[in-house]
Amino acid sequence: MKKFNCIFLIVISVLVLLFTYNDDFLYKNEIMKITKIDTIKEDIEQNSLGLSEKYYTKNITGIITNGKNKGTIKSILYEESYSSVVTDKYKVGDKVILDKNSIDNLKRDFYIVLMILLFIILIYIVGEVKGLLSVLSVIINSFIFYLGLMLYFKGIDILFITVIEIISFSIISLFIAGGINKKTISAIISTVTSIILILLMLLIVVKLTNYKGITFNDLAYLTVPAVDIILPELLIGAVGAIMDVAITISSSISELIDKDKNITLKNLNKSSKEIGKDIMSTMSNVLFFTYICAGLPIFVLAIRNGFTIKNFITTNFTLELTRFLVGSIGILASIPIATFISIKIFKRGEV
Amino acid sequence: MNLVLLIILFLLMIYIDKVRGIKLFLSLVFNFLILMVLFYLIAIGLNPIICSLIACIILSYVILFYVNGENIKTKSSFKSIIIVLLILALLIFLITNLSRIAGFGIESYEEINMFSYNVKIDYTNITISLILISLIGATVDSSIAISSALYEVHLNNLKLSKKELFKSGMNIGHDILCTTTNTLLFAFLADFMTLMIWFYTSKYSFLDIINSKTFACEFIKILFSAIGCLLVIPITSYITTSDLKKEEN
Repeated sequence: MKKFNCIFLIVISVLVLLFTYNDDFLYKNEIMKITKIDTIKEDIEQNSLGLSEKYYTKNITGIITNGKNKGTIKSILYEESYSSVVTDKYKVGDKVILDKNSIDNLKRDFYIVLMILLFIILIYIVGEVKGLLSVLSVIINSFIFYLGLMLYFKGIDILFITVIEIISFSIISLFIAGGINKKTISAIISTVTSIILILLMLLIVVKLTNYKGITFNDLAYLTVPAVDIILPELLIGAVGAIMDVAITISSSISELIDKDKNITLKNLNKSSKEIGKDIMSTMSNVLFFTYICAGLPIFVLAIRNGFTIKNFITTNFTLELTRFLVGSIGILASIPIATFISIKIFKRGEV
Repeated sequence: MNLVLLIILFLLMIYIDKVRGIKLFLSLVFNFLILMVLFYLIAIGLNPIICSLIACIILSYVILFYVNGENIKTKSSFKSIIIVLLILALLIFLITNLSRIAGFGIESYEEINMFSYNVKIDYTNITISLILISLIGATVDSSIAISSALYEVHLNNLKLSKKELFKSGMNIGHDILCTTTNTLLFAFLADFMTLMIWFYTSKYSFLDIINSKTFACEFIKILFSAIGCLLVIPITSYITTSDLKKEEN
């Protein structure tokens, strides 16, 4: 059965990929398939540190594959750089999106779909139905997230939306992951309580420090005030990890009570904290690498422009650190909170 | 503000467990230092891919052996992580080169316009190493979860055959899949929020969004983290099972 499903998935994926490769008709802009690239000029420019960068002016020729000019041949000049900090290196066979008579972007939808399909096939092979269910919960959660943003654009307070969103995130993901039972209910209550406590803590910290030492370079491109976005962003970044802790703790407490009906509250508390300690280090590492690495490209750019490390950390790196710190605080704080709530729920009537 | 948060984090760690809390704190500081050294080595022009592979191995060594101790569980995890890293390095190399997600998209120009772009370093390799390092945390996390759970199963039931043990490893894998994908999803969504607001205010269409470099880079990065977690599950189950059975004989 599984083998059959796998083959079915792969066949569908190939069809979807074929479609995405040829979906040029969906685009309003013209799509050009590159057939020839000639380098017509080479330049060298230097920066203040004396690093010399090569620039190549290329004449890119290709066939338009959609719209009313379909089939016509076009030539476009494009300046490419060795480093490709802001340019791309196009190759023969690439499809590019045109903006009037210049290249706007590579057509990347094929690669995005390729990665999604690779992920879905792998998650089915490794996780079977449960794997597919987690993809489902990812899709539903993304949709809720999108809905929340739309409400924000309608003018509703974003912090309020975020709290509502987080409650629905945790209800949906935990029910899909664990089914409707005492374990999941106690995990949901723990997640929401932890998030609200973290929000209160953040509000106090922000009141005391007024974002001192945090630069909003990352959010420079926003047209809405960065201060509006930062708290919701921090909370959403932390909620996944908090849910993870909450479900781990509540399932182990239910497991412990199952194994030994007469277990004392003190022992229960102790075992659950012990489990919490086991997961806290790997969990905070997950967040650490996911967030901190995001700074690498800018770091290289800064150092190669003569910035010192210290200079960089204090100007460009602060928001990533904040995200990591808030996430980790969430993980740690939710250990005792989840323990307390799960014990209250499972041992109700005895205490 | 970060300092205040750091102090709160430290106090919480001590509150949960004095010894292990401090150990965790030190390991995070140490990881941070390794990352800074790695970033610096890449910035002065050493090969980013080789540097980050070595750094990933050192980092997982620290997380596994320093924080969790040296034993059969962590040894099997370590082996599996190296295998996963090598497989993924190849895949990441391919996809990054094909999808041209290196460098910065238009959305970040404002952030970087104070720098000169003449830096003489190929950003394709930098993006590859960025993806490699960001997946190491999640991969180590699911690997150690599998190997320690398998170890417990093995201890409680020594009669299990190799095949049965492998199967229970995969079963444990199913349980951690959902929560790990969630952790990653929300970390991604948080990043994505600002981007989405930008897309909305600049009137991007759906097709504009998925073709834009900034979105594609973030998206591919997070999917690779998830794929790392996925791949490590069968590989760790297999290696831990054979190590445990070998030790028995």
